[in-house]
Amino acid sequence: MDIQDIISSGLLELYAAGLTSNEESAQVQAWVKQYPEVAAELKAIELGLEDYAQANAVAPAAGVKDKLFAQINNQVTAANGNNFAKPAAVVAIKNYWKWAAAASVILLIGSVAMNFIYFNKFTTVNNNLQQAQEKLSLADQQMTDMSKDMEVVHSPYSMPVALKGQEVMPDATAKIFWMQNTKEVMVDASNLPDAPSGMQYQFWAIVDGKAVDGGMIITNDKGKKFRMQKMKSFGRAEFFAISLEKEGGSPVPTKVVSMGKI
Amino acid sequence: MFEVKKYSEEELVVELQGRNQQAFSYLYDNYAGALNGVITKLVEDRELAEDILQEVFVKIWNNFSSYDATKGRLFTWMINITRNLTIDTLRSKGYKKQQKISSDENSVSNYAESGAVEKFDTLGIRKQLVNLKPEQKVIIDLAYFNGYTQDEISKEMGIPLGTVKTRMRSAILELRKLLQ
Repeated sequence: MDIQDIISSGLLELYAAGLTSNEESAQVQAWVKQYPEVAAELKAIELGLEDYAQANAVAPAAGVKDKLFAQINNQVTAANGNNFAKPAAVVAIKNYWKWAAAASVILLIGSVAMNFIYFNKFTTVNNNLQQAQEKLSLADQQMTDMSKDMEVVHSPYSMPVALKGQEVMPDATAKIFWMQNTKEVMVDASNLPDAPSGMQYQFWAIVDGKAVDGGMIITNDKGKKFRMQKMKSFGRAEFFAISLEKEGGSPVPTKVVSMGKI
Repeated sequence: MFEVKKYSEEELVVELQGRNQQAFSYLYDNYAGALNGVITKLVEDRELAEDILQEVFVKIWNNFSSYDATKGRLFTWMINITRNLTIDTLRSKGYKKQQKISSDENSVSNYAESGAVEKFDTLGIRKQLVNLKPEQKVIIDLAYFNGYTQDEISKEMGIPLGTVKTRMRSAILELRKLLQ
C-alpha cells in the first residue's frame, strides 16, 4: 500500500472517529509512525472532527467543574499528596482551600462535640473516683482504729476486767482493758445501752474504798461508741465501775450501773 | 485571580503529565463543552449526563499517563474516553444497545426532515456546516458522537459494510473543506 492508497482508503477517518478494530488501529498507528504524510493527514482529519465537536458543544452544567476539582483534590489528599508535584492552579487552590476550610469546620465541630462528651465522662469518672477514694479512706481509718483496738485486746500486758450490769440496769455490761505496763485504762463500751438524753456514763476506779473519777464515756455518738475509749490511768484499784450521771459528770457516783472486781 | 494562559496542545500535554491543575482547569474550560455535546446526545437524564462528564474528566486526570501523543491528538483520546464511558454507563444502567439503536433509528430517519438543521442553528454551529449533506452529518454523528460500529452504521444507514469507509472519508473531507 503506498501512501496515497492509505490516505484515500478511509481507514484514517474511521480511526479518528473511533471506529477501527484493534488490528486496524495498530495498522494505522504503524503507518503514522512510518509516513509523515499519513501523520499529517490524520492530524488534519482529527482537527476537522475536533472542530465539528466544538461546533456541537453543549455548555456543561455550572457545578460540574467544582465537583470535579473537589473529587480530584480529595484523591490527592487521600493519596497523601501523591503526584502533587506542581503548585495547583489558582482556581484549584481556591477550591482546595474551600474544601480544606469545610473539612476543618467539620473537624472543629466534631472536636467540640467530643470535648463535651469526654468532659462529661471525665466529670462522672472523677466524681466516682472521689467517692471511691472517700470510701477507701473511711474504710482505711476504720481499719486502723480497729487494729489499734485489737492491739489493746491482744497485748500481753492488757488485763481484762468484765463489768456486770447492776440491778438498776442489768444490761449495762462493759469490758475494761487495764494495761499493766502503762497503767492506761481502756473501756470497750460497745455493749452499754445508749445513755438517755441529758445523761452520760462516767467511769470510776475504786481505790482504797474511795471512788475516783476516771473520765466520761461516750455512748451516743455513733461510730465512737464502738471504739475503745481511753480513760484516766490508774496505778492501782480494787474495782472499776460505771455510773449514769447528768451530762458533764459528777464528783461522786450517784447511780452505779455496772461494776467489776479486779 | 485567574491567570489566563493559552496552551498549545504539546504544552498542555506536558503540563498535564506533570499533574498541573491549572492546565487541567484550562483543559476543562476548553473541551468540556465539546465532550458534553457527545454525552448529551446519548443521555437524556441531565443529572446522569453531569455525572458522566465529571467521571470522564476524573478519568482523563487519573489516566493521563496512558495518553500517547504518537497515536493521535489529545482530543481524539478524550472523546474516545467520553464515548466509551457514556455507552458503558448506559449499559450498566440497563439501557440495552438494541434499545439505543431503535430509539436512535427514529432520530436518524427523521434526521433530515425534522429539526436537525434547525437544532444545529440553535446550538450555534458554524454556518458553513449547514452545507454538509444530511447523510454526511448522519454518518459522522453516528460514528463520532453515538459510538456506532462500522457494522451498526452499515445496518443503520442501509449501506454495504465496505462503503462505510469511503462514505466516512467523503463526509469528513467535505467537513474539512467547509471548516477551512
